[in-house]
Amino acid sequence: MKKFLLPLLFLFLFLVESLFVQYLPEDAFGHNRILVPHFLFAAILFLTIFVGKKQGIIYAAIFGLLFDIVYVEIIGIYLFIYPFISYVISKIMQILQTNMIIAFLASVFGMALLEVGVYEMNHLIHVTNLDFMSFVNLRLYPTLILNAAFIVIAGYPLKRLFEKHAEALRVE
Amino acid sequence: MPQFFLNKRLIILLVSIIVLVALIGFSLRERNKLSWPEQFVKDTTGWAQSLVSKPTNYIAGFFENLQDLQNTYNENKELKSRLDNLVSLEAQVQALKKDNEDLRAVLGEEKTLRDFEPLPATVIGRNPDRWHEMIIIDKGSLNGIKKNMAVVTANGLIGKIKNVNKFSSTVQLLSATDPKNRISAIVQGKTKVYGLVEGYDKEKKLLMVKAIPAGAEIEKGQTVITSGLGGIFPEGLLVGKVVEVKPDQYGLNLTALVEPGADFYDIKNVMVTKKIMREADVTDLTDGKEEGS
Repeated sequence: MKKFLLPLLFLFLFLVESLFVQYLPEDAFGHNRILVPHFLFAAILFLTIFVGKKQGIIYAAIFGLLFDIVYVEIIGIYLFIYPFISYVISKIMQILQTNMIIAFLASVFGMALLEVGVYEMNHLIHVTNLDFMSFVNLRLYPTLILNAAFIVIAGYPLKRLFEKHAEALRVE
Repeated sequence: MPQFFLNKRLIILLVSIIVLVALIGFSLRERNKLSWPEQFVKDTTGWAQSLVSKPTNYIAGFFENLQDLQNTYNENKELKSRLDNLVSLEAQVQALKKDNEDLRAVLGEEKTLRDFEPLPATVIGRNPDRWHEMIIIDKGSLNGIKKNMAVVTANGLIGKIKNVNKFSSTVQLLSATDPKNRISAIVQGKTKVYGLVEGYDKEKKLLMVKAIPAGAEIEKGQTVITSGLGGIFPEGLLVGKVVEVKPDQYGLNLTALVEPGADFYDIKNVMVTKKIMREADVTDLTDGKEEGS
């Protein structure tokens, strides 16, 4: 049972992202703001920080691929960028010490990297023609604030869960 | 130099970038169908999505009903006043329909571009990274859905079917940026003016109807409907209302900004339109012998 807990949790977050976007009213937080939930990715980053690099990157690759197939229909974007940022964050965490505040800051930084990376890729393949400044104002700030709020709320339970998981792994 | 190539991480990075480019290239090319592993994954997650989204839909519907109750009195008043006109209008419509059928029988043309069979579907998901405006519905090829069918809500056209799986399909909304996505439309004024629905202004939240001939008389408030000329969509689906008209960048054509009739957010139930009239085959358009090139 415990083995399935993590995949189920990630799958749940994966589905919640889609529901969140579907039921969020158009201008819930002011006009012309695009809020993008990255709840799944926040959890993956926490997994990378509190459990380990290997686990984090494997989950990032699997759910990146799933995200690409189900939601984006262009395979490669998230499959590449999820593991890549997980790797970068794990490198950063080798220097810093692991506590809640550092984890929060690192996750928000990872989120910003993700948004900018995906924007650049989409710009390259002409999925969007938004210029960079309006991207920052329209998408980046609101998205970061939304996800920071999510991390503040869900960060502590996630940390507890992952630390228990890491403990169980060590015992094995 | 040899050390440079021995760096394992660098090689992994380079290989993954090559794989990334190959995969993106593979998925960007014109595809008629998704490959079977993709279809399988999409159907499986589609099942999980409907498991989660249907109860959520129900709960959201309950709260919406509560809100509706508050406005009941005013709405009822307004609806009653409209009801008086409705009876006479209905009689008129009946007579016109009958007329139309008779005239068609005389002409010998039974089916028109206008005829379609609606197929109701429920939205079970939406793309969370909001670059590709897409929704996922719970009907697939087993229900008779095919690629490129028009998708409408009660208030108007919202998009077309992008990909079909066995039990679910994805709908590309009109608000998506896709240069390949053009829909032939009519601006209904005193005369019919043809144009192409092409592109979406994200900041103003308006659709752009381009390639309208200069000098066409278009006014604010005129309705825009699909023309059925593309051979894919039925005729007469509401697109929206004209808000603004301006010349395009070369001054040769006009561009009309159109307020979409349907809301591209907050979509719960949609209708997929199955066109009844036969679609033109490739052999009708090209002379069989002149293929190739």
